[in-house]
Amino acid sequence: MPHYLQANFTEMSSVLTLNSISKFYGPIRALNNVSFEVPQGSVFGILGPNGSGKTTLLSIILDVLKANNGNFLWFDHPGSPEQRKKIGSLLETPNFYHYLSAIDNLKVTQSISGRGTREDIDEVLKKVKLYERRKSRFKTYSLGMKQRLAIAASLLGNPKVLVLDEPTNGLDPVGIAEIRELIVELKKSGHTIIMASHLLDEVEKVCTHVAILKTGDVITTGDVNEVLQDEDVVEVSAADLNVLANVLQQFSSDISISNVSNTVQLLLPKGTAKLDEINRFCFDHGIVLNHLLLKKKRLEARFFELTNN
Amino acid sequence: MTNLLKTEWLKLKKYWAFWWMTGIVALAYPGMNYSIYYNGYKDQLKDKNWGPILKMLPNPFTFPDVWQTVAFISSLFVFIPSIVVIMFITNEYTFKTHRQNVIDGWSRKDFMTSKMIDVAIISLLVTVLYFITATIIGLDNSTNPSGNFWKGSQYIGLFFLQVFSQLSIALLISLLVRKAFIALGIFIFYFFPLEPILVQLGKRYANDAGKFLPLEISDRLIPAPRFFFRQQSEWDALVAQSNIHILYTVLLLAITWGICFWINAKRDL
Repeated sequence: MPHYLQANFTEMSSVLTLNSISKFYGPIRALNNVSFEVPQGSVFGILGPNGSGKTTLLSIILDVLKANNGNFLWFDHPGSPEQRKKIGSLLETPNFYHYLSAIDNLKVTQSISGRGTREDIDEVLKKVKLYERRKSRFKTYSLGMKQRLAIAASLLGNPKVLVLDEPTNGLDPVGIAEIRELIVELKKSGHTIIMASHLLDEVEKVCTHVAILKTGDVITTGDVNEVLQDEDVVEVSAADLNVLANVLQQFSSDISISNVSNTVQLLLPKGTAKLDEINRFCFDHGIVLNHLLLKKKRLEARFFELTNN
Repeated sequence: MTNLLKTEWLKLKKYWAFWWMTGIVALAYPGMNYSIYYNGYKDQLKDKNWGPILKMLPNPFTFPDVWQTVAFISSLFVFIPSIVVIMFITNEYTFKTHRQNVIDGWSRKDFMTSKMIDVAIISLLVTVLYFITATIIGLDNSTNPSGNFWKGSQYIGLFFLQVFSQLSIALLISLLVRKAFIALGIFIFYFFPLEPILVQLGKRYANDAGKFLPLEISDRLIPAPRFFFRQQSEWDALVAQSNIHILYTVLLLAITWGICFWINAKRDL
């Protein structure tokens, strides 16, 4: 495990710990010795291309699938039905009784999990904007409405931990933005959210931590800022970009001028960029900066780098 | 257990097929019993040779024999509630709600216990409909019903055991196959004609080994009424084996549910 992660985990207790989880479907290796920890209060994104094992991994921690090797701990204890009752989960597709209404389906969820009250059912249906159709049968819903009901079920009783597998599947752009806001809101109120997604923009906007999977292997995991920044990208700008670029060669050999953004970009080893020093150095050499920024590498670019796609 | 019962009732009470089945059974049981009463029994009374003998025997549609007669005739229609059992369990797989139940906090054992409760509820409902049918027919035909009303009522328990056992087989097939129409096809084909043919072949060639087939084991809990047989000895032999078949049926139930729980615990959902 990377040293920066170890530091983070000692500060926060873990909601979920995975220890060398492996899963095989005959000769096909779906997961291979997957280990990581989900810190309390984090929004933990599990990323990976199609078939990388995201849903398999979530299915194992929810006892839908059995791992061939390894184990997992929820709050330092082996997984159990009692623990699952306290976790709001949406796995793969919305799974409901097609002949029952939204209210009746949530009554079943409530009866099994013990989460929430009759009033809470109305509340979560309002939250996902399904209240007007609460008495319609599930089979009459659009894909987006089904997904909203699944999110409502996971929110029932305000569980402190949520497991969401592709939560924005089937939602329109407004719906996606609403779910994103909801996740940010839940994080602010202290919830821990474990979320699998292949929508990198979505993950980048809401996640505090990520694990990236590729054909069953964890390629990297940790704080989202740490994972995204394998090197520091400093963006600077001044009146004369050529002069600026020449002066900055003392800091980095990898310098480029972007005529699109009218900036000079410096690539530096991770964690070495000191913006105040760059600013002072330029000023001492008679250059007044009008732009100075330490940029994150886009998750998409980093993801492609890591998965070699 | 109360929670499992409550949850299953939430699922079942708005399932239209469950109420259709209840309605069909409520009509079919009295309908079939009256039909056999008029077309089977009363017609035989007019038979030159067989009629006088039958008249010497008690009327099978009066107390106490009505319990056995109606139980036997009604048990021929177990495939009606079996359709609901098969559809109800395969729906769980089709719509993946069996996974959601576990995700939401049931253990796999809870899920299978809940299915056992479903089978028990449906068996109980069918038994209640049998009880009502037998009571009405018995009261309709008996001259002094009060004296013999509860005599022979052990068939209420035996009928429940038979229905529960045969619906449990339907559930096992559903659990193995998971697809509604394939499971229905297999069960109905086995129910009729496959097992009856095998039982007859067993009688002819294998020292009646067919009595150990899954449905036949519980079929023999309730012997056919006396008027189905010309030979007294044949009927006596059938009645005599009823008690041992209680034991066989209980053993079969234990094996059936043991397999169900084991499969559900081991395989991926």
